[in-house]
Order: sequence, then structure tokens, then C-alpha cells
Amino acid sequence: MNSHKISLLLFLLFYHINLTANSDFPEPPTGIIKLAPYQAADMQIKDIDAIPFKLSETKGHWVFVHFWASWCGPCRKEMPAIQKMWNKLEKEGLKMALINTAEDEDTIFNFLGIYAPDIRALMDADGLVTEEWKPRGLPATYLVDPDGKVRYQALGGREWHKPTYLNFLRRLLKIK
Amino acid sequence: MSYLVKFIPIIFLLNFSFTELVYAKKDSKPVYKSKQLQVSLSPRKPEQMAAFYEGRGFSKEMINLLKQQCFITVGIHNKSNDIIWHDLSNWTFQTAGKTINDYERSHWKQLWKKMKIPMAHQSTFRWTLLPPELDFRPNEHEGGNIIFPYTETEILLTAEFRTKSDKTGKPIKITINNIFCAK
Repeated sequence: MNSHKISLLLFLLFYHINLTANSDFPEPPTGIIKLAPYQAADMQIKDIDAIPFKLSETKGHWVFVHFWASWCGPCRKEMPAIQKMWNKLEKEGLKMALINTAEDEDTIFNFLGIYAPDIRALMDADGLVTEEWKPRGLPATYLVDPDGKVRYQALGGREWHKPTYLNFLRRLLKIK
Repeated sequence: MSYLVKFIPIIFLLNFSFTELVYAKKDSKPVYKSKQLQVSLSPRKPEQMAAFYEGRGFSKEMINLLKQQCFITVGIHNKSNDIIWHDLSNWTFQTAGKTINDYERSHWKQLWKKMKIPMAHQSTFRWTLLPPELDFRPNEHEGGNIIFPYTETEILLTAEFRTKSDKTGKPIKITINNIFCAK
């Protein structure tokens, strides 16, 4: 086999792998943008019980990264939908980073106690993690793939508990 | 009281969607509406803003300073099927024939640093501001405050938004009058 044939073979192999990789990531439903993938900024923050959380430790799983604040009306509206989605998809392998932006423990505790009591609350106490992720606004959701790459971003609040979004997330969970 | 304080920002945000949209009519709310774009402006009373920031635990020093300003909450909704580019540098505010400048983020950053305001409060304050730039996606709706030195006279806004993903579409030029700082 001459070098031209080897080059062609390698090209086709690479092209096939690349094509497969791209087609693996489905087109999102309304209100979610498919991004040119980029490495998610790692974060080391604590939850409301002062237990550390590191995003890089969730590698190998899809992660639902969500920024919110209690003063943001759309966040309040969206949070019950996130809780309902989480009730279904936690056991299917989804990981969650629910990050409050710069509020105190009491505020977070009171808010999540009502709207999302079963989700671990992470605290971006000084707001710097949120700044680093540069959301378009609050609320903001990113979907991070098992390799730690940001693949999708939601625009504003979404009805995550509705079949359209649940089915989309389930399709993602099949991509390892 | 604290319950009320917590709901004030929600009322702000709901106002965006419930505002009746009439463009440039005297005594109407300052709103621009077309098939592609909606821009609404809602002046906020100093007490409203103070209640919001008090509810977040901001210091009296910070609140007293903010109460002296003119707060206008802006809502922008891209109703088109393509990207609409928001760039605050393409917005001009005039009052009594003279251009007035809103306070830029850098102004507040320096001021808060000088006043040794906690990072958390600085962060919350930043998130209540209108983003300086944003590529509004189809049906995206974002908003935030712009802040001026207080003025009693009417403010006129002219702004331009580029369109299409490569910014080559026909720009949208808007004019909104009848803007007054709330007392």
C-alpha cells in the first residue's frame, strides 16, 4: 500500500470518527443553543453544608450546570421544573451543579426549601464562578458532556420537566 | 415586609411581558415594538430600588448613593427568527437637547472597590445591570437596569441594533421618547 492510499485511509477513518462524534449530539429543542464545544471552566465551590464540590470530579457524566438567584423572577418560575426533571433523571445518571450567585445561606435555604428541596445547593459566595462562566443572564443553564466540554446552553428559563426537554436530556445521557 | 421585598424584582420582570405596547404616544409607557423587536423601559422609584437592595443586605451607604440615581429597567425581546445584536455603545440618551451618559460598569466597579463593598453585593449589583453587549437569539428575552444621574426633564433614546448572524442585515433603528426618571 503506497503512502497516498494510507493517507486516504487515515483521512476517511478520521472523517468517519469526526462525523460520528458530531452526529451523536442531537439538535436541541426550542430555547437551547448547540455550541461549538469548549472546555468547561472548573469550579471548586462549597455546598450549603460547606462540603466541597469540584466540577472536574463529575467527568464521565453529563452535568446540568445551572446558575440562579432568588431575586430573579424567571429563576423562581423555572426552579420547580428543574426539581421535577431531577426527580426523573438523577437515577438515570445526570449530575447537577445548581449554583446560587452571591446570596447568603439563609436566602438559599429558604428558597430551595420551597422550590427545589431535593437538589444540593452550591454557593458561589462571591459571584466569581458565575462571572467566569459568563452567562447571558440569570437563570442560565449549560449542559456539559462526559468529557467536560460545554455542548449546549439554554436561553432563560425552560420547562425542563416537559417531555420535549426530558427526551432531549435522555438522548444526551446515552452519549458516553 | 421582607416577603414584599422578595417579590418586587419579580414584579419588575413580569412588567416586561405585560406592558401594553404603544410607540411614542404621549403619556404612553416608553416602549418600542415591531415584528422583530420589543424594547421596553420601566423607570423605577428610588424606594423600589432601595427596597430591592435592602432585601439583599446592601449597606446603607451603598443604598443611599443608589437612591440618588435614575434607574430604568430595560427589557429586550428578539421576536425575529435571526440574531439581533445589542450593543449599548449604539444607544444615545438625550435630555433637553444634550446627550447624557449612563454610568458604565467600570464606574460602579471602581466606586464599590473604593467603598470596600463585599464581592457578593458587587456581583448582585452587576447582575441587575443591562448587559453591555449581547447577541439576542430568536425569541430570547433579557433585561436589566441602566442608571443615570437623576434628571427631571424628558429623556429621548435612540438606538441601533444590527441584525443577522454576520451583522449584515438591515439595522433596526429605534426611538423612544416620553422617558422620565421616577420620583
